[in-house]
Amino acid sequence: MKAVEARFRASVSSGGSAFSVEVELELERGVLVLFGPSGSGKTLCLQTLVGSIDADEGQASICGQSVFDVARGSKLATHLRRIGYVPQHHSLFPFCDVTANVVFGLPRAQRQRIPAEINALFEELGIDHLRGSMPESLSGGERQRVALARALAVEPRLLVLDEPFASIDRDGKETLVAMLKALLVRRGLPTLLVTHDPAEARSLGDAVVLFNRGRTVGFGSLDALAGSA
Amino acid sequence: MTDPFFPVWLSLGVALLALVVTAPLGIGLAWFQASRQHRFRGLIDGLVLMPMVLPPSVVGLFLVWIFGRRGVVGHALESVGVRLVFTPWAAAIASGVVALPVLVKAAQPAMEAVPQELILIGRTLGLPPHEVFLRVVLRGAWRGIVTGLMLAFVRAIGEFGATLMFAGNIPGRTNTMPIEIWSAYQGGEESRAFRYVLVLTALGVMTVFVSARLAPSKPRRLG
Repeated sequence: MKAVEARFRASVSSGGSAFSVEVELELERGVLVLFGPSGSGKTLCLQTLVGSIDADEGQASICGQSVFDVARGSKLATHLRRIGYVPQHHSLFPFCDVTANVVFGLPRAQRQRIPAEINALFEELGIDHLRGSMPESLSGGERQRVALARALAVEPRLLVLDEPFASIDRDGKETLVAMLKALLVRRGLPTLLVTHDPAEARSLGDAVVLFNRGRTVGFGSLDALAGSA
Repeated sequence: MTDPFFPVWLSLGVALLALVVTAPLGIGLAWFQASRQHRFRGLIDGLVLMPMVLPPSVVGLFLVWIFGRRGVVGHALESVGVRLVFTPWAAAIASGVVALPVLVKAAQPAMEAVPQELILIGRTLGLPPHEVFLRVVLRGAWRGIVTGLMLAFVRAIGEFGATLMFAGNIPGRTNTMPIEIWSAYQGGEESRAFRYVLVLTALGVMTVFVSARLAPSKPRRLG
């Protein structure tokens, strides 16, 4: 059973101009890097998989369960897809402290009495000392670690990271990349990572799908990046 | 001689009742307009704004045509023994109708300002749509919504023209504060008018003060 299997076309329009992406990708395990220049359709691909945009045609499944199939008219609601999503910006709820952000997706009883495994998550991501802090007081790297903890807390079956290091300074980025790599290896959670940084892709990825001008143009090992870097 | 406090209690009751009905309707409408791109968006915006741009007497006459004895709704209600015109209920309906656009126009931009990413994150965390609305949208937009509710309450309590047309000026029954001010002034009793002017002015000043306190002093940095 593949973690992700997708073949679809999706489009968005804004201010009279339209943009579409044609996607063909699959992930069995590990980290699949969605690589390509800005505006090549990577984020639109993720948004379609997550469920914020409807595909025009095609289908996608996660861990064997169909999340949408345009021909059959079926679509699984976003909140039932069990995808952990970490965006580039606006990643934390500004009206909650770090603890409330991390437990946001848990049932009420667990929000009031935080389970041991969630407390362990705070330790694992090095955010235990930030528990009572508000998002506006955190650095970019701290915010993304909290966002990652929150995404992992609900035990997703797929993790989706949309340029998670884009707004982090160089030192913070190196630390976070190393931490994320160790965490993903430990947990073995299938992950889609969007980036246009070849170094990030090589550090974290197991395979790559190349995007260019609104379509996937290559799929395979990270060696494929050598020609595109 | 009627109880001088009656217009105060009546106005508070009418405005509160109007707000109780208007609040869920206005907040729901604001969210409907803020969260969806649909073909009726402009039409609904226009209809919501109507009571704000039409003269109050025109709004009052529309209400009489709808809820009056020969109106579509009024006739049906009359057949089951319910009569609205010239009752405090009519005053509450008139107040609610003119307060609705005030609430929607304050709440809608506040809801639109909640980043789409946060709403999407809420969904990916497994929250069904109603929980996303309650825990992400309302919490993110509460300042605008509370401001809208306060402004709507003050608009409702100060409603005059539509109330006069629809509920009339019946001492001890439908004489709200604005109507009592008008009556007293017409009768040359300015000192009687003054005490209601004082109450309404105090409410207005308080609302403006609290609204200003609720408005963020600087753009908030998002997490």
